[in-house]
Amino acid sequence: MLNKNLFALNAIAFSILCVSPRVFGQSDSTRNLKEVNVQGITSDVFKTAAPVQSVTSSDFSRYSAFSVADAVRNFSGVAVRDYGGIGGLKTVSVRSMGAGYTSVLYDGILINDAQTGQVDLGRFNLLNLQQIILYTGQPLNLNLPARSYANSAVLSLITKQPQLSREKPNRFTAGIRAGSFGLINPYLQWQQRLSGNWSMVLNGSTLNANGNYRFKDSFGGKDTIGRRVNSDVSTQQIDGGVYYSRNDSTKFRLQFNYINSDRGLPGPVILNAVYDNQHLLNQDAFVQAAYDRIWQNSLHLLLTAKASHNYQHYTDASFLNNNGGANEHYTQREIYQSATLSYKPLQNWEIAYGTDASFVDMDVDVYKYVFPKRLSLYNILASNLKLGRFGIQTSLLSTYINDDNETNAAAKSKSAWSPTLVASYEAMKNGELLIRAFYKNVYRYPNLSEQYYYAVQPRDIKPEQSRQYNVGAVYTKNLDGFAEYVSAGVDGYYYNVTNKIFTFPGRSAEIISVRNIGKVDIRGLDVNIKTRFKPVADYTGLFNLSYTYQKAIDISNMGDSFYKEQIPYTPKHTLALNAGVKHQGIGLFYNHIFSSSRYYLSNNRPEYYLPAYHISDFSFTYDFRLFKKQFYSALEVNNAFNSDYVIVKGYPMPPRSIRLTLQLTI
Amino acid sequence: MRSFKHSYLLFLSALSLLATSCSKDDDPIIDDNLGSGVFIVNQGAFSASNASLTFYNTTTKKVTLDVFSAVNGAGLGAVANDAAIYGSKMYITVNVSSTLEVINPLNGKLIKHIDMKNNGVARQPRYVAFYKNKAYITSYDNTVAVLDTASLNVEKFITVGRNPEQLAVANGKLYVANSGGLTFGNPDKSVSVIDLNTNTETKKITVPANPVSLAVDAGGDVYVISAGDYDKIPPALTIINSANDAIKSSETTDISYGNTVAIAGNKAYFISSSGNIVVYDTATDQVSNENFITGNFKIKTPYAIAVKESTGEVFVTDAKGYTADGKLYIFNRDGAVKDSAATGLIPGKIVFKNN
Repeated sequence: MLNKNLFALNAIAFSILCVSPRVFGQSDSTRNLKEVNVQGITSDVFKTAAPVQSVTSSDFSRYSAFSVADAVRNFSGVAVRDYGGIGGLKTVSVRSMGAGYTSVLYDGILINDAQTGQVDLGRFNLLNLQQIILYTGQPLNLNLPARSYANSAVLSLITKQPQLSREKPNRFTAGIRAGSFGLINPYLQWQQRLSGNWSMVLNGSTLNANGNYRFKDSFGGKDTIGRRVNSDVSTQQIDGGVYYSRNDSTKFRLQFNYINSDRGLPGPVILNAVYDNQHLLNQDAFVQAAYDRIWQNSLHLLLTAKASHNYQHYTDASFLNNNGGANEHYTQREIYQSATLSYKPLQNWEIAYGTDASFVDMDVDVYKYVFPKRLSLYNILASNLKLGRFGIQTSLLSTYINDDNETNAAAKSKSAWSPTLVASYEAMKNGELLIRAFYKNVYRYPNLSEQYYYAVQPRDIKPEQSRQYNVGAVYTKNLDGFAEYVSAGVDGYYYNVTNKIFTFPGRSAEIISVRNIGKVDIRGLDVNIKTRFKPVADYTGLFNLSYTYQKAIDISNMGDSFYKEQIPYTPKHTLALNAGVKHQGIGLFYNHIFSSSRYYLSNNRPEYYLPAYHISDFSFTYDFRLFKKQFYSALEVNNAFNSDYVIVKGYPMPPRSIRLTLQLTI
Repeated sequence: MRSFKHSYLLFLSALSLLATSCSKDDDPIIDDNLGSGVFIVNQGAFSASNASLTFYNTTTKKVTLDVFSAVNGAGLGAVANDAAIYGSKMYITVNVSSTLEVINPLNGKLIKHIDMKNNGVARQPRYVAFYKNKAYITSYDNTVAVLDTASLNVEKFITVGRNPEQLAVANGKLYVANSGGLTFGNPDKSVSVIDLNTNTETKKITVPANPVSLAVDAGGDVYVISAGDYDKIPPALTIINSANDAIKSSETTDISYGNTVAIAGNKAYFISSSGNIVVYDTATDQVSNENFITGNFKIKTPYAIAVKESTGEVFVTDAKGYTADGKLYIFNRDGAVKDSAATGLIPGKIVFKNN
């Protein structure tokens, strides 16, 4: 009965959570921000027409970040959904929209999980990343693949590019991270100049941990102390690329990435029982290429291509079927191609046209699977106009989705037009204040799980639609006093989601029903404040604060017992602050995250209450020279005050843990 | 009958339960009789271990959302599936936590917590039935446990078919629906017959694939509802004559997966796949009413059904899409809604308490 679905749903959850294809990378997310000098002052609040937040590799240790998920948790508007531990799934939801509304780009190309629509950010380590940028709304550069415009937020991961010269033709970095949970994570990077225009990067790392930790949880009001088991992780990753660059006007890159990850799935903590037989193997590979050419007359061409193969094997020996347990294989393949052409007819006007095609096929050995193939076509027409102090970006995205499969259960093809309007105004002559606003229309298509997983009957599901409105301001002032500068951004927003897709377990796994029934109203406020203090005796102080207010209510049906109540897992208030001091090669940082209470079900009832939590991390970094070599070391203490908390009900988070890093660069 | 004062106190304690159940130190004690009404076993969500036991006092109209945790200081666990009162005890199967909780139905106090594990591996208990001071409990590990209701010790595990679900006693024999439902595409298709004198399986009767629901009518006929394979094999209703274990009839039916068949007198009530309450006449073996509920009243996700013999009232829970708190509806014998009460998450079983 229900138990079956619950098990199956659990399996779905895991597969949803864990299959995550990779993509290739293209280049130029960094350049998008050239005007605001991303590389320069990383602690600034960007003066962009739509909100942009960023963190660079030198700051990862400030946030005691181990994975991409840790590095972005200080961004305003971001909620990290973390199932706990090193191997636990970690996804981000921007402005309460859910993980499916954030596209993750790897060097400019989407990491597409057609099956689940969400990407596990816990599986991206930070070692080969140079920068992480979050665009709310959409990136403002026009030289982008069309698919980059299709979502509500874009998380752009930018890898380390070779930084070499004739005098310094190669660079080696070797390091090891080790600490609590039996973590051992050695890594290596090799950068090599191949000729005047060509260079290459190769990264390799392994990660092993037992992942176990003690936790405190409560059941029906009774505290229980337990231990997370079956959390072991073993991951091997190798990635790299060759890069060509001529005069910055012609660039080419060819990259590959392979991850093999084998881990136990601890599952939820169950009162009176332990299920410790679930296991997941992922083998994900991709190659991607990008060609970027700018002509003298401002014509700019970007071509990208990618092929990916993602394999997942899920087993659960304690599932009481006739085959010795659950044993499911998922294979997802994607071929993707994109071309974007932009041109400046006038000095202050740029137009672009881009077209993308993606072809995905799935092979899953669950009961009555239909083996879908999905073709997605995206076309974008965009314009960037500057008129004095006004900036106006308009874009119109066309999306076409067509499915095909081996039975007659293929969904009807769907298409939609999504307009976006972004406007900004320099309110002060000295450029200190920017007023900004955007309107964006986003469709989210049912992913392959929603459309086909155990879909014995064809499902007629419409895309989710959201209308998004944002109004904000950015103020930056250079100061002569105690602080060097202060920079603040405030954005208020209203998002309205209709035709929200819900998956209902039903009485049986085989008859899950998926329907468009929900409506959600989201009102929120994102605040960012950043400042740097004047150095005193070579001590430099840094301070960032971000605050998020969210009122996200369910307005599906007036008769529902949860009508107008806050949607699950959505805190009203989140606060992240980071403060630190740098002195010569030494850095000492404190990071604090506060989340107000939440409910884990639609009913905002005491039984479904998750208490507020505070998490404090400390990190200490030290750069030094030894034997004429450059070393970097770090000590991080996570959850320093040992708070017992959960983000996802049933998945307790780790207690205090430490991590040591030692790295040598030659 | 409850005095006003008592029910007032009960109401207060229910209120304080509502207000404080998220904090760990307040366990309002209900140490007197809960009164006359119904228990609702709420399955709860798989990952949240939040199964609960709601009590609705039909006289005072007071709801106690979770009697079990209020009285015992800890929750039921993950996915409470079935419950029944036998003698002075109530037995609750908790599927994913893999326990059997034996409580005093007067006040909800725990009498014994029985761990249903096999060398630490969860057996996953499903349903319970009784015969001559023994409780019989099906578990997904292909067994029926025999529990002595006096000593509360498990005396034996009888191996039956795959993933046994509902069970019932007729003519001194125990009938067990072997679903095999966890092997998608290859379900079991048998009903085990157990001799209650020797507690051994004597035969398996072949029925359509994936039998889940099982009930016995006044004449000793066993009604078995098979869910089919969700593909080529449709759901079916099979009637077995318990006198000779012969199949009287077997035909496809429009019933939603895994629902209980509630039999009172010569009427069997079940929930159809389209969500209607269908009445089946067990004397004529014909559907006598395609939609029992009168007026425009519609239940969003009808989930559990039970009939009160004495009044003919039909109790139906609404699981509200499985994502929010459910509701109990009470219909008079003519199908008109007469009362309702709040329940916990996914109310899957209704148990009458008459004193």
